[in-house]
Amino acid sequence: MSNNIVENLRKEIEAFKADVQTEKVGHVMEVFDGIAKVSGLSDIKSSEMVTFPAGQVGVALNLEEDAVGVIILGDFSKIKEGDEVKATGKILEISVSDSILGRTVSAMGAPIDGKGAIKAAKTYPIEKVAPGVVTRQSVDQPVATGIKAIDAIIPVGRGQRELIIGDRQTGKTAIAIDAILNQKGQNMICVYVSIGQKDSKLRKLQARLEDGGAMAYTVIVSAGASEAAAMSYIAPYAGVSIAEYFMDQGKDVLIIYDDLSKHAVAYREISLLLRRPPGREAYPGDVFYLHSRLLERACRRNEKYGGGSITAFPIIETQAGDISAYIPTNVISITDGQIFLETDLFYKGIRPAVNVGSSVSRVGSSAQIKAMKKVAGTLKLDLAQFRELEAFSQFGSDLDESTKKQLERGKRSVEVLKQLQYAPVKTEHQVVTFYALTKGFMDDVPVAKIKEFETGLIEYTETHAKVFYKDIKETKMWTDKGEEQLKKAIGDFKASFAK
Amino acid sequence: MTKISPKTIAEAIYSATKGKSGNDLGLALKRSVKVLENKRMIGKSEEVLSALQKIIDKKEGIVRMKATTAHKIETTERKKLENEIKEKYKAQSVISEFFEKPELLGGIRVEVGEEILDATYKNKLRKLEKFLIREI
Repeated sequence: MSNNIVENLRKEIEAFKADVQTEKVGHVMEVFDGIAKVSGLSDIKSSEMVTFPAGQVGVALNLEEDAVGVIILGDFSKIKEGDEVKATGKILEISVSDSILGRTVSAMGAPIDGKGAIKAAKTYPIEKVAPGVVTRQSVDQPVATGIKAIDAIIPVGRGQRELIIGDRQTGKTAIAIDAILNQKGQNMICVYVSIGQKDSKLRKLQARLEDGGAMAYTVIVSAGASEAAAMSYIAPYAGVSIAEYFMDQGKDVLIIYDDLSKHAVAYREISLLLRRPPGREAYPGDVFYLHSRLLERACRRNEKYGGGSITAFPIIETQAGDISAYIPTNVISITDGQIFLETDLFYKGIRPAVNVGSSVSRVGSSAQIKAMKKVAGTLKLDLAQFRELEAFSQFGSDLDESTKKQLERGKRSVEVLKQLQYAPVKTEHQVVTFYALTKGFMDDVPVAKIKEFETGLIEYTETHAKVFYKDIKETKMWTDKGEEQLKKAIGDFKASFAK
Repeated sequence: MTKISPKTIAEAIYSATKGKSGNDLGLALKRSVKVLENKRMIGKSEEVLSALQKIIDKKEGIVRMKATTAHKIETTERKKLENEIKEKYKAQSVISEFFEKPELLGGIRVEVGEEILDATYKNKLRKLEKFLIREI
């Protein structure tokens, strides 16, 4: 045994080659708040990785006339003035491999979940130019989030960038988590990037995903609130690099950035420390590019270039519902639509608190399955009309029959769209519910009993409308035979429900 | 007002003093100090001087070398090293400084400007350590 150790060590030492090469070095002039000003390093590239004597890694961000501004990724308390800084000639990169699935890693790709080292297969640069026009394909495959309000009214397609925006405590993360939980068996890899979040929140979320069996296809990238701003700054880029690794294998990936407001704040901090000129709300001039280059990396690639897709769900937290602030307007203009969550709706008990009027999906409707399109096509318009009528009807009680009918239908639609957290609904079940709603089967069911009716209906139709379910699963649309069977099943169930 | 960098001031001083000697040089240098005072850059005089040194070295083909070894090296070896450096950097002359640091264990470390050639045993051992604990 001990002989073996000696023999192995001998082999290892024999395999070691110490090449002596000239290295470019600089010296630390000053260190403050996670930033180092370094003299020398005249040939350094922007975003190039540098190393400090104690092994810390830095990234050169500011290339000035006689100094280089470096952000330090890690503990900067041990870096002293005069320390030697070595240029590596490489852009910052992280290790990626298939075994990263199910793990929680830092913004540098190092495991932080206590489950041991992750064997690296490859390294991916964290900054990469987004795929070009010729490699892309239009969005035509749906992402089933399992949330009725989204799948029916604001559908999202694979390769889309859909913003989740709202005030604090409106259920933004809840939507993202539900979407991850619903990807089980949907051939989707999920990456959740936590930026500047509390560690307790992350732990809770990780436990929730583990309970739901979602960690098997999920990677969590975390830059916690206690870490330096530089880590928060690189975390989303590290996350999308992991996503690209899986996309390069032809897989579909869903990435969530929770949240980009904190990312912008971290970048503002770094920029101000690097003495870059502040602009509106003290954000630097390139804060738009910061997010546009990140979100542009979400795409659906055509088969010729290997297929695969990255769907992005960036999250933005607004202050007092102000979506016209700097960062929200920037990200709204970059993304392909937004899911707008409102505090008022949340406290009214409408959860998820999606404001269907302000929410849009610019490309997702082409990815929606035909059956869903058919049953939910007019839902958005109906709901908008309902809101208008609801406000109007408060002034008088003399309403004509058709208005009353519209109001009643609207109330039921709102009720149907309510959904509990961590309870994603399968697409075929959603189709059945919306079919019953839009064909008027729910019109005479009391509003208070809608939820009960919906649950019972799904259970009943699963055994009594098998053809319908089979049609949806196989052809994404029902046949006449399936529809007849569903109609009959709904009728039968209604009769028994009324009793 | 745009901030003037020490490098720019040093370049200006070099141009003003180039080719001058005697009284002319003295006058030019006095004026340079006046400029530093007017621009409130007396506090940055060290940086200006080091920038000026670099400019003069570059223009006149002078290379400054620092060599550190664990043990004292012989004059002939020093000369040999200086010649190597002179040839490598195509320099007119080499100004060298030699230091001794026993903790380097052996070998030599040569510094020329921003470039470092570290062939010390200490560095080799550090590399071996990294190699042995690498992730496989």
